[in-house]
Amino acid sequence: MGEVLIRTQSLRTWFPKRKSLLGKPGAWLKAVDDVSLTIYRGECLGLAGESGCGKSTLGRTILQLVKPRSGSVRFDGTALRNLDFRQLQPFRPRMQMVFQDPRSSLNPKMTMLKILAEAIRANPDHDGDSILDQAVELADMVDLRPEHLFRYPHEFSGGQQQRICIARALATCPDFIVFDESTSALDVSVQAQILNLIKRLKQRLGLTYLFISHDLNVLAQVCERIAVMYAGQIVEIQESGRLFSSPGHPYTRGLRDAVPIADPEAKQTFVSIKGEVPSLVDPPAGCRFHPRCDFADRLCATRVPELQRLERHRSWIRCHRYRQLNFNQERR
Amino acid sequence: MSVKQKEKPILEVKDLVAEFTTAAGRLRILDGIDFSLFPAEILALVGETGCGKSVTAKSIMNLLAEQVCKRRGKVMMDGVNLLDLSKKQMRSYLGRRISMIFQNPIASINPVFTLGEQIRRLVRIHMAGEITRVKSELGCTTAAAIDRLAAANLEKVGLTDVDQLMRAYAHQISGGMAQRYRIATAVLGNPDVLIADEATSALDVTVQAHILRLLKRLSAEKNTAIIFITHDLGIAAQLCQQVAVMYSGRIVEVAPTAELFKNPLHPYTRGLLKAVPQLSRKTGLEHIPGTIPDLRNPPSGCRFHPRCRQAMERCRRLRPPLVETKSHQVCCHLYDAGNKEAAWAKS
Repeated sequence: MGEVLIRTQSLRTWFPKRKSLLGKPGAWLKAVDDVSLTIYRGECLGLAGESGCGKSTLGRTILQLVKPRSGSVRFDGTALRNLDFRQLQPFRPRMQMVFQDPRSSLNPKMTMLKILAEAIRANPDHDGDSILDQAVELADMVDLRPEHLFRYPHEFSGGQQQRICIARALATCPDFIVFDESTSALDVSVQAQILNLIKRLKQRLGLTYLFISHDLNVLAQVCERIAVMYAGQIVEIQESGRLFSSPGHPYTRGLRDAVPIADPEAKQTFVSIKGEVPSLVDPPAGCRFHPRCDFADRLCATRVPELQRLERHRSWIRCHRYRQLNFNQERR
Repeated sequence: MSVKQKEKPILEVKDLVAEFTTAAGRLRILDGIDFSLFPAEILALVGETGCGKSVTAKSIMNLLAEQVCKRRGKVMMDGVNLLDLSKKQMRSYLGRRISMIFQNPIASINPVFTLGEQIRRLVRIHMAGEITRVKSELGCTTAAAIDRLAAANLEKVGLTDVDQLMRAYAHQISGGMAQRYRIATAVLGNPDVLIADEATSALDVTVQAHILRLLKRLSAEKNTAIIFITHDLGIAAQLCQQVAVMYSGRIVEVAPTAELFKNPLHPYTRGLLKAVPQLSRKTGLEHIPGTIPDLRNPPSGCRFHPRCRQAMERCRRLRPPLVETKSHQVCCHLYDAGNKEAAWAKS
């Protein structure tokens, strides 16, 4: 590990809001605003944050499903931003996505075999005559049986449907998969099955993941590193264990403390971050978190903090005051 | 717990059965639910999708149309079986004795009236005594008194900028504010029981924390008992005193929270606790094999037996009896009196 697979540099994805009479946007919704991050080959990077903070948009922008307004995305050394539809084609099979709602991401008129076959054919390296064999193999990878191939999506449970979506993502032999809240719609017992499957596949096939979730507990299970997003920006990137034991950013700490712990002996008081998520059209000046932050001073209200590299390996933080705030008992 | 036992339960559910008539035939969604709720107690009703948590709540509240859902059993409140009441008679209970909040707070507010109009109507219905008191104290008109009470109720749940809020419509406020507003409307009649059906599941964790703290405070201040329906065991652990675990239309285990998490008895509860992802968990997740049963054709005997690693021959044949241990109530053959050795050997 150590090889860079994806690198984004000051990525901005803005959506036009309130178009004027001549079709000129009067305002922009800044869903992703100045995001620079690196995903290393073979790792699972988690992306956490509250609803509406731009997590999904960032995932889609990396895959070029949404075109960024500025900034760059490099995938395996190639800059993707200026490629047109046709030039992107060779990269598409290498980057896949698994969505939140498996039911609506499967065509109800296609059997599982047809769904997989379509994806297998999209892979330029496939040999035409063994589609059935490959489909059987894919089904086996996600613990479904060969006879399932002839069934339609509605005949499967939610967990099984998500397995099909994962199999479809694997069909093109990708390097990189974005999971966008892929287990959020599932029950705990099924969610555990899918999480274990996702972890196992990564090991076996040497995949790289971006795992988007609002649930910190889930991220802690599958990710090596976690990026925390707030109002369109990354506020902290840390190794997953350290992020929870000693968060650097006040927002990360607030988020962690708000998660109910399934252990009655850990007496929580439900003290949480005050206020609500800001509007992405007109985000607060300075540090975007400062109106809700208990530690903000004058500098936070006026100057935008830069994302700074910590001495620690692959850790970044966007906070003026992190050196003074010491949320951790342990140092380094 | 001993204090609780001396108290009389505020709500008692006994052998509650709910059957739905659908195109696929008759589905028995609730198959004999029993539990008691004591004053000021917060009870968690946990379970996976489709296990009947919400149907339990709606059956208690009489919110299901008689044509689709047939209910049997008892829901006792001060010696009256709520299931026997007509819709009209039930009205004197709703809001005053028993109230409910829902998962999607914005959708559960009427979109065509302002928030102010709606809460003022409720004040008029539920707070007649208060209105006259405020009127005589301040010498104001009825309308002004209602306004004042409505605003006071909204402030009590931590809402600010109340004047502006009262002029807003449901779609103009955030989910967190909407849920606070719904709580304010649900408790202004001082109900003894509040049912919260996945009341924080649609909210972000930070907002969820605020709502949970609010509910905890209300319960302590007003002696309101809360049935908190959730699939999140973290909330059950942190908010509730008692936890009831449901599986496929039945309650499989009830115990005080600390007991349940430390010493779960039912194999389903054990599996569920091992499947919950936690920040502090170092080991991998264990999952429960299989999926929840199809209610069109539920498994015989114990409904959990096809997924249970400890299933015995009798689990397939017989419905497990309710076994009471020192602190738990559990429905499982492992703890059956005639089968005690098996229980301790296998646990």
